Amino acid sequence: MPSISQPSSSVRQAFGDTLLRLAKTNKNLCVVSADLKSSLCLTKFAAKYPKRFIECGVAESNAAAIAAGLAKTGRTVFLSSFACFSPAINWAVIKQSVCYNHANVKIVGSHAGLASGDLGATHQMLEDLALMRSLPNMQVFAPLDATETKKIVTVCANSPLPAYIRLVRPSSPQVFDPKFSFTIGKSAVLRSGKDITILGHGLPLANFFSSLRAQSRPQFSFEVINCSSIKPLDTDTIQKSIKKTGRVICLEDHQKNGGLGEAVSSFILSSAIPCRFLHLAVDNLFGQSAKDYLQLYDHYGLGWQSILHAAQRLML
Amino acid sequence: MLSPLRLTDLSRQLRLSVLDLIYLSGGGHIGGSLSSLDLMISVYFSKTFNFPGDHFVLSAGHLCPSLYAVLSAAGYFHPDLLKTYSAYRSPLQGHVSTDVPGVEYSSGSLGQGLSFAAGLALGHPKHTTICLTSDGEHQEGQIWEAAMFASKYHLGNLINLVDYNHYQIDGPTDEIMPLGRLAAKYIEFGWTVTTINGHNFSQINKALVKAKESNYPNCIIAQTVFGQGVSFMQYDYRYHDVKNLPENLYLRARKELSNLL
Repeated sequence: MPSISQPSSSVRQAFGDTLLRLAKTNKNLCVVSADLKSSLCLTKFAAKYPKRFIECGVAESNAAAIAAGLAKTGRTVFLSSFACFSPAINWAVIKQSVCYNHANVKIVGSHAGLASGDLGATHQMLEDLALMRSLPNMQVFAPLDATETKKIVTVCANSPLPAYIRLVRPSSPQVFDPKFSFTIGKSAVLRSGKDITILGHGLPLANFFSSLRAQSRPQFSFEVINCSSIKPLDTDTIQKSIKKTGRVICLEDHQKNGGLGEAVSSFILSSAIPCRFLHLAVDNLFGQSAKDYLQLYDHYGLGWQSILHAAQRLML
Repeated sequence: MLSPLRLTDLSRQLRLSVLDLIYLSGGGHIGGSLSSLDLMISVYFSKTFNFPGDHFVLSAGHLCPSLYAVLSAAGYFHPDLLKTYSAYRSPLQGHVSTDVPGVEYSSGSLGQGLSFAAGLALGHPKHTTICLTSDGEHQEGQIWEAAMFASKYHLGNLINLVDYNHYQIDGPTDEIMPLGRLAAKYIEFGWTVTTINGHNFSQINKALVKAKESNYPNCIIAQTVFGQGVSFMQYDYRYHDVKNLPENLYLRARKELSNLL
């Protein structure tokens, strides 16, 4: 397996730094925290803006409705926790108090996916996209790297609509140039190709892309698309690519059920686009501990070798 | 402030509106609506609060027939709209909705409203936020998360008005899941607590004024009568959510409530 090219940086740090920067000019920006402020890199924010940092303790349901009520007084609220607690424990609160009540709350769920590594199955949130995609009024984003995290957090802070932002624990390879601009509902084509369209989000895609970039002569011509805007989905860019390649691999650190792959396959079927489709994701299984999350990516079929095998199957 | 006598008159009229609205629409949560009606009348008509500005959150969203009747009487919308309660394309949803003029929070799933109200109270410290919860709703753990939060953040501008009617959908609250010493629990959580008769306007108004002036989060435990005003509905949990009330029972209830006028 090719080594993942450096440098890499933390999407969580990018999140914390961006909120700290935005809070300077946006006096209405608040954080509602359910403990875990150090894990979400919000210690500086809490120290600098104590009145705008609301600590709810380990009570994610209360935190979500506090966030909604606070938002209704004109604040832009970021609700921060691990994805396995928020939006998992407080989903019904997000449905009613945030989405149904049109509250300007951004749910930030960190440590998503198998990538949380040694914490094991309880903390490896593999169902968050399913939970959030299914809610009316909810936008869903999964940034690829630290740069895109900054952009997505900034765009969300300036939008009045609820959103879910999925973050991961490990550092991510840097893919985007700082000048990159993120637009809601738009996907970036990271690399053009003619054989196979690779659709994905977050860490598995960033890792694959970095490895691919390090190859002087890749076996196949991959078109790599970053679907960080999972809802709304950029179906135009996806359609254009699939019509060209006729082959799709959807890659994600999430359950097959309810993830990006399901959104894409539903679109493909309803648009009657002829293609071959493979979905590399966790298939109705729980995660497990590992010191290095890449061991889990290999085990569950999200690593470089699994993608190459899938590509070979599609090219037969 | 409207005198308790005037509020009693209004209560008798609106009790009929609630009965009509539920009968004509084919069903609704009548027991709790009749128990909580006087509390909502006090909130909107005692002139203790100013709306908009102060906030009212109905956490027990199924009690909306009473809120709709009260808001209509307060002039938020024409009483004709009450006839459309829970009908297709009506803003008057079966559980309370912000589509209705004057409603600040859509609810139905119990236990969330007190947290939402605490968020409003935190964001608007110069205004009072009143939240109406039911006794059964206190079985939800989130209520106690909110109680801790309100105490930590010294939300003296938050009032939790508890409609303690002692019944829930499947039976008496004491049988389904007893709340124990509710007042003591709130006191332990750092709240001030007042226990009142929830159908005595003099007591309700006094408690609201006292709560508004207090520096601690306030819980008013209003002892109410489930199905208040209709003899055969009182203390009968089967009238939690009545569907297709037979005409003879409707007429009997109407007669009892009209006799109060």
